Amino acid sequence: MKLFTSGPIFASLCGFVLLLVADNSAASDAVLFEQEILPLLQSHCVDCHGANDPESGLRVDRRSSLIRGGDSGEAALTPNQADGSLLLQLVRGDDADRRMPPEGESLSTDEIALLSRWIDQGAKWPGQMPGQKDAQDDTLQSDHWSLQPFSRPKVPRFDQGNNAIDAFINKRLDAAGLTFSPPADSISIARRVSFVLTGLPPSDSVTGDAKERDYATMVDELLASPEYGQRWAQHWLDVIRWAETVGFETNSERKQAWPYRDWVIDAFNSDKPYDQFIREQILGDELGQDAALGFLVAGPANLPGQIGRDEEAMRQSRQDELDEVIQTVSQGIMGLTIGCARCHNHKFDPILQKDYYSLQAIFAGMSYGDRRLRGEADDRLTDRVPAEAEKLRSLIAKADSLRVQKKLRPPLPSFPKETFDPILADGVRIEIMATNNDGAASLYELQAWTSEHDNGAEEDVSKNASSQSSTSRNIALASNGSRVSASSFALANQTRHFDNLIDGSSDRRQAFPWVAAKAGPAWAQVDFANSTMINAVAWDTSSGVPVDLVVKVRDVATGQWRAVATSRDRMLRTDDIRKAESIVIDGLSQKEVKELWSVNQSVNRTRLSVNRLKAGSRVYAARFSENPAATWQLRRGDPMQRIAMVPPSTPVVLGALSLGIDAPERTRRQALVSQLTSPHHPLTARVIVNRIWQHHFGIGIVETPSDFGKMGSLPSHPQLLDWLASELVDNNWSLKHIHRLILNSKTFQQSSVPRPAALQLDADSRLLWRFPPRRIEAESIRDSILQASGKLNSQMGGRGFNLFQQRGGLSDYKPLETFDHEGWRRMIYAHKIRMQSVDVFGTFDCPDAGQMKPRRTQSITPLQSLSLLNSPFVNRQAAFFASRIEDEVGADLNAQIDRAFEIAFSRKATDPERIELIKLVRDEGLMQMCRVLINTSEFLYLR
Amino acid sequence: MVPNRLSRRRLLSGSAAALPQIALASLLADRTSASEKPHFSAKAKNVIVVFCSGAISHVDTFDFKPELLRLNGKPLPGNAKLVSFQGPNGNLTAPLWKFRPRGQSGKMVSDLVPRIGELADEICFFHSMTNKSNTHGPAENVMNTGFAFDGFPSMGSWINFGLGSENKNLPAFVAIEDPRGMPQSGPNNWASGFLPASVQGTPLSTTMPIRYLQPPKSVSSKTDTAARDALQFMEQNFQRSYPGDNQLAGRIASYELAARMQMHVPEVTDLSQESAHTLKLYGADSPDKTKAAFANNCILARRLIESGVRFVQLFNGAYASGGRINWDGHSKLKEQYDVHGQILDQPVAGLLRDLKQRGMLESTLVVFATEFGRMPMFQAGTYGRDHNPLGFTCWMAGAGVRKGYSYGATDEFGFKAVENVATVHDFHATILHLLGLDHKRLTFYHNGIQRRLTDVHGKVIRDVLA
Repeated sequence: MKLFTSGPIFASLCGFVLLLVADNSAASDAVLFEQEILPLLQSHCVDCHGANDPESGLRVDRRSSLIRGGDSGEAALTPNQADGSLLLQLVRGDDADRRMPPEGESLSTDEIALLSRWIDQGAKWPGQMPGQKDAQDDTLQSDHWSLQPFSRPKVPRFDQGNNAIDAFINKRLDAAGLTFSPPADSISIARRVSFVLTGLPPSDSVTGDAKERDYATMVDELLASPEYGQRWAQHWLDVIRWAETVGFETNSERKQAWPYRDWVIDAFNSDKPYDQFIREQILGDELGQDAALGFLVAGPANLPGQIGRDEEAMRQSRQDELDEVIQTVSQGIMGLTIGCARCHNHKFDPILQKDYYSLQAIFAGMSYGDRRLRGEADDRLTDRVPAEAEKLRSLIAKADSLRVQKKLRPPLPSFPKETFDPILADGVRIEIMATNNDGAASLYELQAWTSEHDNGAEEDVSKNASSQSSTSRNIALASNGSRVSASSFALANQTRHFDNLIDGSSDRRQAFPWVAAKAGPAWAQVDFANSTMINAVAWDTSSGVPVDLVVKVRDVATGQWRAVATSRDRMLRTDDIRKAESIVIDGLSQKEVKELWSVNQSVNRTRLSVNRLKAGSRVYAARFSENPAATWQLRRGDPMQRIAMVPPSTPVVLGALSLGIDAPERTRRQALVSQLTSPHHPLTARVIVNRIWQHHFGIGIVETPSDFGKMGSLPSHPQLLDWLASELVDNNWSLKHIHRLILNSKTFQQSSVPRPAALQLDADSRLLWRFPPRRIEAESIRDSILQASGKLNSQMGGRGFNLFQQRGGLSDYKPLETFDHEGWRRMIYAHKIRMQSVDVFGTFDCPDAGQMKPRRTQSITPLQSLSLLNSPFVNRQAAFFASRIEDEVGADLNAQIDRAFEIAFSRKATDPERIELIKLVRDEGLMQMCRVLINTSEFLYLR
Repeated sequence: MVPNRLSRRRLLSGSAAALPQIALASLLADRTSASEKPHFSAKAKNVIVVFCSGAISHVDTFDFKPELLRLNGKPLPGNAKLVSFQGPNGNLTAPLWKFRPRGQSGKMVSDLVPRIGELADEICFFHSMTNKSNTHGPAENVMNTGFAFDGFPSMGSWINFGLGSENKNLPAFVAIEDPRGMPQSGPNNWASGFLPASVQGTPLSTTMPIRYLQPPKSVSSKTDTAARDALQFMEQNFQRSYPGDNQLAGRIASYELAARMQMHVPEVTDLSQESAHTLKLYGADSPDKTKAAFANNCILARRLIESGVRFVQLFNGAYASGGRINWDGHSKLKEQYDVHGQILDQPVAGLLRDLKQRGMLESTLVVFATEFGRMPMFQAGTYGRDHNPLGFTCWMAGAGVRKGYSYGATDEFGFKAVENVATVHDFHATILHLLGLDHKRLTFYHNGIQRRLTDVHGKVIRDVLA
């Protein structure tokens, strides 16, 4: 039967083969498509699922369409696999709400059986089988602009200068009957270029002689300044909603996330080629760039402890984690909203649901967490390991020889098992006097093991002494009829009942421990269903490890509890933090205990130190497992409804990767990276040059910077976009090259003053007949205030400063209101808490990393005014600003006003301004004028 | 798409530095002009959402299940070994408070909330609510933003965005936190997500004023006025170089609104003019400080609505605390709810009665919501109930909803919604409908999609419309 699928050459032989195998019953059942199946599809399905605007996007008039499926993204059928095929489920009406056809007569049992056989026989469709002339190509094609390759467009003719950007802009202006505005004044330009490149106003040494300075030199200096990277890294962090907490309800801190921020800042400052920028963020493990992998884990992800205990919740959570990665990569780099195809085929773009899961498969081996941050700092830590480990070894040896000398048993392990001579008992009990951390006692399990002679029955053990048929088993289980009791249990937010002690489950992800209600003495006891010969008691410890205890068994012979083990003949555990005075060891004086205790403390400290050194430098970043779990396409995105396994790939419309389901983990990411960084990729270069453009003019050539799909906007200047993309690729992906091209254009340098006639034609200044003015961002406002007050701390890198009283955790964050030198660093160095609006500056549309924010809103609210007028931050800085001026120019009011204007606006005051403000300064003080200047639009607007 | 909406959206998202034809007022929260209109005529003008953070138990309050009395102590038939959010469950547990018939309708409501029970004839119960998530934070997000993830606009900000403000002196959307602390998802409950920041909720309560509403103490009123005058001079001066630039004009107006808020917010939060009768009605005279503070918050909610605030979110219960300061009764539900019930019952009942006697219930919709319900069983080894998103109760009263009506039902144990199962999206669609908004048309483009409060789901529950 295999011959049937072997292609066109055999087609003509089929009749012959059929004849030969006519006796074979399977072959005699061969379904005839044209006679039996086609009429069935035509009478029941084609009305709604034909070529013309098919319902749910599903066409049944083409074999390839059935195999691809409709909008849901699920194949209607898979040849040779009738079982589980969606088409059959629907016509059978497995789910009554989705029965097909929805109205009119359902298919008969015979018809359904026929369909099923047809699918099992390969869903043969003469003429449309692979390779045949009517076979439809299963690859997607799209004529959407952004998915077409770009080439370097010809620069239009333009007689004013030789800047290509101006030529492209002029062409559209000309067509709309508009012209460029005149050049802006030199102060405006100096402020503009300074804010755009560094997010700060020009330092006054620059503005003082702005007129004389060579513009190109100014641009070069700003591009070379460290403040450039600090500014542009923020734009990238916005795009990928990077934050230093996990999000969700716990919102715990990601303590080691900050090295990624430093990496991004360095990448911009060193003009890391953009292809390399992408490569390192996806393949940093291979390239020795561990911090770069913070990119993949920029989004929120639930902590394991926050995930429900059922299979569905765990799968859902894993899907959600990977979804964040898909959003980061697809929107951040590709400008495609592939995340929309999680539950069904993309509604607008040529992206299949299967594409979504193929992309997920690339990251199937990835998890969130800390990884080693290789580099000099890490090497220095590693170098110290041998000496510290040696120190630890000698301390341990010292402790052990002391132990031997004092004739003590080794310390309690975390899962102790105490053995003793077999005894017929009907219960065990552990009496706890103290725990290692002075906290409530806590155990997962309390076990009693039968001696090997026991065969589990009630017979007289002595008679069966020779029986070796059974092996030791834990009799202290609820399933063996045992009952448990304890001194108390904690009624906390979790189940901490003593029932947990005998449930036979100590898997840390699934089980709960018993926890006593409070610190101090506690006991737990298990009564057996029957008297049993036992010779061992064991207990699995949890967070509050019992370190001072007695184990007892109830001797059936006497009916009395008998102690079988104590901890007081053992060496101390190294994690025992009790005070020396509270420790009792049988036969030892207090002085001897103190001696043990001291050496123990040293062991503990040194062990922690060795562990820290061994762990090395860490960064919160993507981690990879060499054995990625299989990736499944999921019906409607439901993790419990697996359709089929999918191999790693990219959306087929971009050219699928040819990898197998079991492709090695890193190979998957390598394949993705090599596709993304190809100079021919239609999106990578276009998307980034558009982002660069956007942060010069406030709006991109494409208004929707992370969505170049059909729902996104069309480019206002498509040829310019392609020209810039070509420039990027042809200049070693240098972003600074693109900056220079833009900054040197007349388009960038023109005035922002509105012209009524032009406003009438293009109110949004979308065609760039002027430089569109805009408010500076939250970070720039804070940084500018600090620069004006003279308090800006230019320290780069490292862990961020606090804006709140806590760095992570449950809600109820209290903002800090006053800061010191550390808190006067640039705002990009503020520890970023997800979903927590920042005090004072949050109202200025500062994103909170809940969602990707490739372009900020610019709202105007009264809360902004209240914050800038009344907050302690602004008032304090206004006072610093005032004392700075007094220090610099002394008591002369006119000089003070001029100096304040120079600092705040890069210009001197006009006469009317001087007249108005001198009154304020004289009557209310210089600080009030500084407070006013910080609130002006001139201070807050880029123009 | 109404042209005005498009213009405003573009304006607020910053793409329209200059659109001279748009009234300046529409830039700001002090719009009184009809630049935003409902899609159709509305029954409700204002909304108060009472949100019980931590998940209040439906089987102990509004959803009476006689089978729980009969099978108290027995396993849940068919689900004896159920594992839910925190782990294994124990046996069915009868309601911990007695249910009694209330009002003309005879609706069974428990003694935990007797005063609300007395008003059963005013209330429309939704007994078949379901939530997608069984975890507080995400589920609270679903209830207040329509999405389990963080970062989506809250219901109040959608409504603010859709309808604009009718208020010259106050923000259109106010979130009143519980005196005990913030709800689990914190500000995400009133954030504007990707909508413009101007439509977000302003947190304000009788115990927590608007941040930076007043100048620092060191700045006298005379000094402040002088500074503001100088600022106005500078702004007008600057504006002259940018004729036709609405953003600059908008900033001037925003300072003016801020100044009016400085006047009016203290007025609206000052409850000293409320009569002793009113204070008593709400329980603001209670010796229990938390109850008195929550009662004051309820009075504040009414005052805000009276002052023309569109949407008030009133939280009862704070963050995760083992049920100590919210409704998360996992381990000792009876003991904890006895405390929480006292705090909730009289103030909310007082609010409903007060709104009714002032005729405000005609135009104000009161919504009572929580993130999910609780299990009909106790959790194994505890005296509390685990999370239950499969079926729970919310209710509405006032403008446009049926009175003394119960919609949908859970099974005989209160375990799962089985009749007229309702999603949070349906609930939201219904609220928007009552406000005259079509949940499918109230949209905003974000990252590749025209987003809605109701995602791609939701249908208006017509049965509950008066």
